[in-house]
Amino acid sequence: MNFEQFQNQSRLYVIGALDPEELEQFEQAREKFGKKAEDFISKCYALHEAFALSLRPAKSSDAIKERLMAMVKAKKQS
Amino acid sequence: MAPALEPGAPSDFELMKGIQAGDADALSQLYDRYNGILKALILRVIHNEAEADDLLQEIFMEIWNQAKNFSEQKGKPLGWMVTLARRRAIDGLRKKQAYARAEERLQNETEQQPEAWVHNATEEEIVLGDTRVLIRKVISSLPPAQQQAIDLAFFRGMSQREIAAKTNTPLGTVKTRLELGLKKIYDGLKDLKDEL
Repeated sequence: MNFEQFQNQSRLYVIGALDPEELEQFEQAREKFGKKAEDFISKCYALHEAFALSLRPAKSSDAIKERLMAMVKAKKQS
Repeated sequence: MAPALEPGAPSDFELMKGIQAGDADALSQLYDRYNGILKALILRVIHNEAEADDLLQEIFMEIWNQAKNFSEQKGKPLGWMVTLARRRAIDGLRKKQAYARAEERLQNETEQQPEAWVHNATEEEIVLGDTRVLIRKVISSLPPAQQQAIDLAFFRGMSQREIAAKTNTPLGTVKTRLELGLKKIYDGLKDLKDEL
């Protein structure tokens, strides 16, 4: 696998779309390319952020935040 | 790439540092800033309002509990939160019986009127020059088949084989659609960063 192919596979990897046999080859290439590979994979995670931002925000109930903050408070006190 | 902040508002990194130090107010602010985005992501995966609310609460609790594992070197807080939320939502979808119901709902939506991944921007969003509008533009510029393949992979957690089976498309075609679509979005985001 050359680095361009690795880049294509990295984008599939971060969204979890690699099939098991591809994943094995991807991990071998990841080891071969070392830091360069890790840097590129980190950049690909920007896709996650973009996909979330592409959606129109949804409203959640006020009670959710109240429950959350009560749980956090209880956890801090325990 | 995160939405613009009010002048003087703490950055996401500052809020994460606050959470790591046990500051509940920092979590409250982070919740106010991103609950809408994370809820939309969860809803896109599980298609159930009440379950999405419960999961949203669990995810923010996990953010509180796991904040120590967040590292600035590994990326931005929003990216970390989205990765966490997506994983939890897909896990939840697979584990619960709701999977079958959501599958049925998705099937019905697909057959009747496919729910678009990206929607047209509202007037308010356009006026604000929201980054989200630009991201939607990049995504909506893809051919529908590429959008669908990415949608099923990212929001439904499907492998390429599963997408091929679901859409009655040859595996090689699914691979090509995903590779081309993701590359275009990735390159579009790079251009977007250069502009901002």
